[in-house]
Amino acid sequence: MASPSPDASAVLRLTLLSVLVIALFLALFARLWFLQVLAGDRYVELADNNSLRSVPSEAPRGSILGSDGEELVRNRPALTISADRQTLLDSEGEPRDDEAARVIDRLGELLELTHDEVIARLGSQRRSALAPVTLAIDVAPEIAFAVREQQELFPGVVTETLPVREYPEGVLASHLVGYLGEISQDELLDPAFTDYRGGDLVGRAGLEQVYEADLRGVTGERLLLVNARGNVLDIQRERDAIQGDDLVTTIDMDLQRAVEQLLADGIIASRDLLRDDGQNMPSVAGSAVVLDAKTGGVLAMASYPSFDPREFVGGVSGDYWRFVNDRQEEQLPLINRAISEVYPPGSVFKTASGAAMLEAGLVGPRSQVNCGPSFELGGISFRNWNRGVNEGPMDLSDALMRSCDTYFYDLAYQQFQREQNQDEPDEVLIRVAERFGFGVSLGIDLPGEQPGRVPGRQWRRDYHLDMREGLCSAAEAAEAGSDQQLLLDDLCQFGGAWRGGDAVNSSIGQGDVLATPLQVAASYQAIANEGVLMRPYLGARIVAQDGTVVREIQPEAIGDLQLDDDELGVIKEGLERVVMDARGTGRTAFSGFPIDRYPVAGKTGTAEIGGRIPYAWFAGYAPVDDPEIVIAVNVEQGGGGSQTAAPIVRNIFEHYFGLVDVEDAEFEAGAEILD
Amino acid sequence: MEIGYSEDRRQRMMRDQVQSRWMAAYAPVRHLDPVLVLTALALTAIGLVAIYSAKLVALTSQGRSPSEYVSNQLIALVLGILVMVILAVLDYRYLRVFAPALYGLSLILLVLTITPLGTEINGSQRWIVVGGFQLQPSELAKLAVLVTLASFLHNAKGEPHGGYVAAALALVLAPIGLVFVQPDLGTSIVFMWLTAVLFLISGVKVRYLFGLTAAGVGAVVFALQTELIQAYQVSRLTAFLNAGDASAAQSAAFQTRQSLIAVGSGQFAGKGLFQGTQTSLSYVPENHTDFIFTVIGEEFGFLGASVVLGLYLVLVWRGLRIAILAKDDFGTYVAGGIVAILTLQVFINIGMTVGIMPVTGLPLPFVSYGGTSLIVWFGMVGMLLNIHMRRF
Repeated sequence: MASPSPDASAVLRLTLLSVLVIALFLALFARLWFLQVLAGDRYVELADNNSLRSVPSEAPRGSILGSDGEELVRNRPALTISADRQTLLDSEGEPRDDEAARVIDRLGELLELTHDEVIARLGSQRRSALAPVTLAIDVAPEIAFAVREQQELFPGVVTETLPVREYPEGVLASHLVGYLGEISQDELLDPAFTDYRGGDLVGRAGLEQVYEADLRGVTGERLLLVNARGNVLDIQRERDAIQGDDLVTTIDMDLQRAVEQLLADGIIASRDLLRDDGQNMPSVAGSAVVLDAKTGGVLAMASYPSFDPREFVGGVSGDYWRFVNDRQEEQLPLINRAISEVYPPGSVFKTASGAAMLEAGLVGPRSQVNCGPSFELGGISFRNWNRGVNEGPMDLSDALMRSCDTYFYDLAYQQFQREQNQDEPDEVLIRVAERFGFGVSLGIDLPGEQPGRVPGRQWRRDYHLDMREGLCSAAEAAEAGSDQQLLLDDLCQFGGAWRGGDAVNSSIGQGDVLATPLQVAASYQAIANEGVLMRPYLGARIVAQDGTVVREIQPEAIGDLQLDDDELGVIKEGLERVVMDARGTGRTAFSGFPIDRYPVAGKTGTAEIGGRIPYAWFAGYAPVDDPEIVIAVNVEQGGGGSQTAAPIVRNIFEHYFGLVDVEDAEFEAGAEILD
Repeated sequence: MEIGYSEDRRQRMMRDQVQSRWMAAYAPVRHLDPVLVLTALALTAIGLVAIYSAKLVALTSQGRSPSEYVSNQLIALVLGILVMVILAVLDYRYLRVFAPALYGLSLILLVLTITPLGTEINGSQRWIVVGGFQLQPSELAKLAVLVTLASFLHNAKGEPHGGYVAAALALVLAPIGLVFVQPDLGTSIVFMWLTAVLFLISGVKVRYLFGLTAAGVGAVVFALQTELIQAYQVSRLTAFLNAGDASAAQSAAFQTRQSLIAVGSGQFAGKGLFQGTQTSLSYVPENHTDFIFTVIGEEFGFLGASVVLGLYLVLVWRGLRIAILAKDDFGTYVAGGIVAILTLQVFINIGMTVGIMPVTGLPLPFVSYGGTSLIVWFGMVGMLLNIHMRRF
């Protein structure tokens, strides 16, 4: 046989082909084994991601109720126009076709939007691609009707009824309730918001923010089976949304209405007061806090001016947002001045500084200290508010009644000298003021509470370190030898030192002492409540929709004034005489008030803030024997406390005790006492 | 003598009887290859089920009968079996006579596809509509090129020299070029591969084979460099390399990615018939034609995919066996060529669904929806039967 024979060669070559074929098949087998057996799990997941889409359904939020169950905030069904993005837009966000473009034009005409605005709203990525995109909330029924009746002109457009926030009381308690806003990108990344999605609303202020977790409810979910075109074929799983729980607050709705009204009326009426210079009283803004004397529950809280939470439903408009944030007018109505603004407390702080003097042992409750016309310190004269009259020796009760500054100056300076001689100064004012709730956060269940400040040596050092560079360079820049240069130079070098003048100023709530109206109210609540400071709170309980109480929020004692009966007694006596003694600084504001039936205790205050018209304060409680409520009112640039703040407090008491209807209440300014 | 005569006659009758028994034993009809035919039918049956599943939801949702595609395919199957019988009954050696005519006809049809008479689908012009029936001439051309080339090499009597090789190349270049401009890259590759395999089997010298391979590679590089291959083809060819890139959803990689998900998510045992979400929800484009294997992979898993691959291996085994047993070189070349085309198409098609081969648009033999392909493949089975039957 010839070698290689043709046959043998053919077989050899066919064998070669077989080997090649088998190699190719082996490659396929190996690849399939890898894909389906080794990596199969991953592809199952990818296949599910492909075909299953989860569409959230919003849970209605819980309501916020007053203490008697009256609704402050609830939900109402709002007619909305939504459209299916995929029907109208292509993947580039342009109209799918001419027909889609015409539908968009028709929508724009109906909703008074431009073509581009409709596309922009449709293209907003904030919602799941499959849920219809909300184009307009609260449309007129005839618009919804027009869409429904001519559905063939509006393919992919649906009218829906969605729950939105409703405020049956309008602007009432807007600072307490707060408002909702769309969740931000940053928040979505925050682990605290893990179960939120883009487009969700979250509480942005007030109780809506603090009780977000209770009010929100549980978002429902539908798991849809979709094909490659995004058409829904089947609902695989459905979980209904669960409405959020209701929040019952401590707010006395009737009182809240009255307080808001009386505060606003009082502030506006006080603008008619003429000052010595012939100008009207500015009375820019103000706030009022009414606490339950026993529990610390907030019965009413008002901040003037206020805002309209209805403006935030469905997204706040740019105009309104600019209006509420306009710094030039200094109105800033979004700020809850009762907790977020700090002022020098002025003479309403004298209860705390008096208690500090007793604590320091410089005086006993009945020790007499002369109330001179002024207190001289290092060439500076610290004058009493009543300009030059020597009121003679006084005990603490008298000093409070007369709001005598020099009584406190004298004692504060003695204490200052003592502390200066201590290796580790025991700053008694800071320590005691904190028992009254000054300089610390009280922990009210509202966002944005400021802790205020009771200054001392440490604060002064830190503050100086921060400010030093600026002071020193200003000193160098100032005209050599001028008074200003000497002052700046002194501050530059020695500004970090706590001086006698600081201690003297602090003792009457001036200088660098700062407090919120809530802190002032709380400090008087502690006095009224036999020395026990309660945490101010608004949330009383969380109630599920079926009526079961999910959580009861208990009043909580957060401090003790640590005063014995004599000490607390002398302070209370002083406060009672402020209102009820003929010589009391608050007497004129309460003239004609039935103090025999409803004895009132309180304190006026007039806070000086560099160069401005003074800020008026009044804080008090009643009835004196068994206090029920505590009220604190502050009016920015409202003049004397007795003049502007005390009459407002009086009106609130009159309403509370059922003496005068809100409609009949009149603001009658008290004597101009700038204590 | 009567007895002598009768003895003689009886002997002759017995001899005749033995002879006719022998003759009967060698009668072609007794040498059908049932395994081959049954395997081809089994693959077709699997294909029908897969086509039904692939189109079930899409057709139902359009209000059309879910068996629409299956009935079309069944008609093609009947025609295919007819063609198979014809090609099995007619002695295959006559094919050598018909080869030039077949070759000419397929060239004419290929030219027609690129004239306005052709129908364009998905950017390539591969079809001619004849009486409501879509004919894909490139499928027919496979058969024609195979027969022509095998017949031509047969004439070389096992010693194809340089001139033969050059002439054979010239023969295949025309259909390759015509298919390429449709454009149908997959079929052009099949032609090239077929030529290479036939050269290998027919004893073309190894140095020629190497030379041709080098030339082929050079041609591909040249085509890529000069943009002879259109951009979409390049992107389809390279898309399988970045199938994992999710951002490519709209691009060419989308097909490959969805295909991988379908096959992979079938896991070992599959999701069950009609249970594949990738299949029923149309995530895999063209899953009744080129991507039919994704249906099998998803719904029948690794087990089902292996059965299909196994059936192809049976076909390959029968085909190679027939190539070896064939009575003449022509038979060997035709059978070997059929095995070559089958293997390459299976490899390219399944390879592209599992992401190891570029997307080129070749149907899966017997399984993919497409009448011409099915008829031509049954025709090839007929030729294999023919060669098998007449191997003595």
